[in-house]
Amino acid sequence: MTALPTLTVKNAKKPARVTGHGKLAAVYLAPGMLGFLIFIVVPLVASLVISLFDWPLFGAAKFVGLDNYVRMLSGDPVFWTVLGNTLFFAVCYTVLNLVLALALSTWLHNLGSWGPFFRVLFFIPVVTPMVANALVWRLMLTDDGVVNSFLANFGIHGPSWLSNSQLAMGSLIAMSVWQGIGYNIIVLGAGLNGISPNLLEAARIDGAGAWQRFFRVVLPMLSPSLFFCTVMTIIGSFKVFTQPYLLTLGGPGESTNTIVLYLYRNGFSFDKLGYASALAWALFVIVMLITALQFSQQKRLVNYDN
Amino acid sequence: MSNNRVTGRLLTAAAVAALAAGTLSACGSSANSSSDAGKEASSMYTWITNENDRAQWQAFVDAAKKKDPAFNLTLEGPSFNDYWTKVKTRLSSSGAPCIITTQAARAQELKDLTVPLDDMVKSNNIDVSMYNKAMIDGLTVDGSLRGIPYDAEPVVLYYNKDLLSAAGVKEPTLNYTTAQFTSDLKALTKDGVTGLAVPPGFGSGPGLPLAFANGNEPVKDGKLDLTNQGLVQDQQFAFDLAAKEKVATAPQASDGTDVPEQQFMSGKAAMIIDGPWMYDTLTTKTQGKVGIAVVPSTSGKSVGMIQGSAFAIAASCKDKEAAFKNIMKITTPEVVGAVGAARGTVPSVESAVKDWAGNKPAADVAVVEALLKSGRPLVTTPTWNQVETNFTQYSGDGFRGSKSAQEILSTIANSAK
Repeated sequence: MTALPTLTVKNAKKPARVTGHGKLAAVYLAPGMLGFLIFIVVPLVASLVISLFDWPLFGAAKFVGLDNYVRMLSGDPVFWTVLGNTLFFAVCYTVLNLVLALALSTWLHNLGSWGPFFRVLFFIPVVTPMVANALVWRLMLTDDGVVNSFLANFGIHGPSWLSNSQLAMGSLIAMSVWQGIGYNIIVLGAGLNGISPNLLEAARIDGAGAWQRFFRVVLPMLSPSLFFCTVMTIIGSFKVFTQPYLLTLGGPGESTNTIVLYLYRNGFSFDKLGYASALAWALFVIVMLITALQFSQQKRLVNYDN
Repeated sequence: MSNNRVTGRLLTAAAVAALAAGTLSACGSSANSSSDAGKEASSMYTWITNENDRAQWQAFVDAAKKKDPAFNLTLEGPSFNDYWTKVKTRLSSSGAPCIITTQAARAQELKDLTVPLDDMVKSNNIDVSMYNKAMIDGLTVDGSLRGIPYDAEPVVLYYNKDLLSAAGVKEPTLNYTTAQFTSDLKALTKDGVTGLAVPPGFGSGPGLPLAFANGNEPVKDGKLDLTNQGLVQDQQFAFDLAAKEKVATAPQASDGTDVPEQQFMSGKAAMIIDGPWMYDTLTTKTQGKVGIAVVPSTSGKSVGMIQGSAFAIAASCKDKEAAFKNIMKITTPEVVGAVGAARGTVPSVESAVKDWAGNKPAADVAVVEALLKSGRPLVTTPTWNQVETNFTQYSGDGFRGSKSAQEILSTIANSAK
């Protein structure tokens, strides 16, 4: 009995070899993977190593173990300030961006033939270089800039939008929302186009009002797009750099200093590559945790039913 | 799928991969693979922000060629703002130029990049006493000379003669008190004109030159001394010109030096404290005639804040002796004088100042000469870049009166230890 299967196997026609394309795929993938390895993995590992050193841009590095991390968490008050600023920016920017993008994309969805025109109009700042946008906003928001000159026509003495610590962060958020909102409008617009009109018609026949249809039908059906926008917007907001670098230089005081601006300066202005790498890893861990938290809630909050 | 077809595809894919990898490696490799020490010794890494900068460096080469027609220097480098970061990474790579430019104010920061020149100065019988003493002092780090200066530029007070005349203000000269300065600025601030244009920086702003004029400096015994009472008081005086006296417009942190210079040139500000390197620009492009005076001080007798640049030898240089000989060819009195005449830089050698003076008004030349004699170098620390960055970041609070000079300078001193 035991020999039979063996015999059967031996005598059976050798099954046609599944000609997988593993090697071919590997060769095709090689250039991309090589780039990923050289430009992502190696720098990532290198920055982790550098964060354990006192590493100047020029000269010998000195191993300091976890000193950079200890200093960051307990000896550097600026770290907590810039972290707080970054969190404040991320929350305000993300909420404002998503709420406005949702409102505008819904409006544009129902606008008819003018919808695509305005969609392109809102998207233009996204494809315009951030530096150019920031310089235009600087001209608008300086003490004697366009905004205050306009206010002066009505006898209003405009405030110092970029040099008042109460207003500077608000100015950065306003500029950032203007710059980034077009992308979310496009994504949410595509999501709205994907919602079957039959569902809305059925809800209307069932007696649902406009707000009920929006909150009970549109929003749940739009949740995958909203989830994508939320994840990408939050990740982007933690990386905010150009706006404070060009508009306020992180000032006045530390009121608009963000974690990426702070780590850039430590690395390339203050000659502290080790400490800058430690800051980069702190940012990496924070963004990773927040993204993981979002994905953990995905099943509960996002509806993938058609 | 036949074996031949699979093999063909594999070969095609391999060729594509090899091409991509080749492209990547080509991008990654340095364009200049030469390790020829002689070539590096006649190469200079410096700031080249625009064609004016390139023309200035070329003026050194052209002037040196008059004595040695075979002389040449290969130039490379980024903009001035990027230079201080990129010089460190460039000198870490192979084939780096042997000659680099530095400033007396940055000599401490770049000390690991440069080599002491004392032995080469001695073996080549160079008399460094012919160079401006303040510049030599500023370029001396831990007792050794790190660069040969080509200019020595004392910060001066520019004023618009037409605006002063219209306001009935007497032109300042070699003796100018801060009390008179404040009074003049008040008289000048009217009809949309402010008395003084101010940039947000520390070294470029009015606070530090005013402190120098009173003999107060930011570094003592090689360490930051930002909270000494004299410096704090002088910086507070500068802040108050905008915050309390309202004779200056408070700058934005992102203004740089070009915004106040534009205010001055357009006639919206009557005075500005700036370096002699701006002399040609400010005297020719300002609406109205321009004169210069010493930076005011409490007593009226001003100590000049001397800034200037130098040529140094990179620590990575293989043929330091050849590099030194090249540096000495572009720092002779004849060369720095010719460059001063052509490009407006105040020569580092006293005997060559006459070449810079040229047809300039005698009163203006006398101001620069007096400040060169009384001047002290702006000596800094390796963390000076952080001091400058943080000061610019905090200056908005100071010029608007929401933070005192004491608070701001204490904060900076603590973070840039």
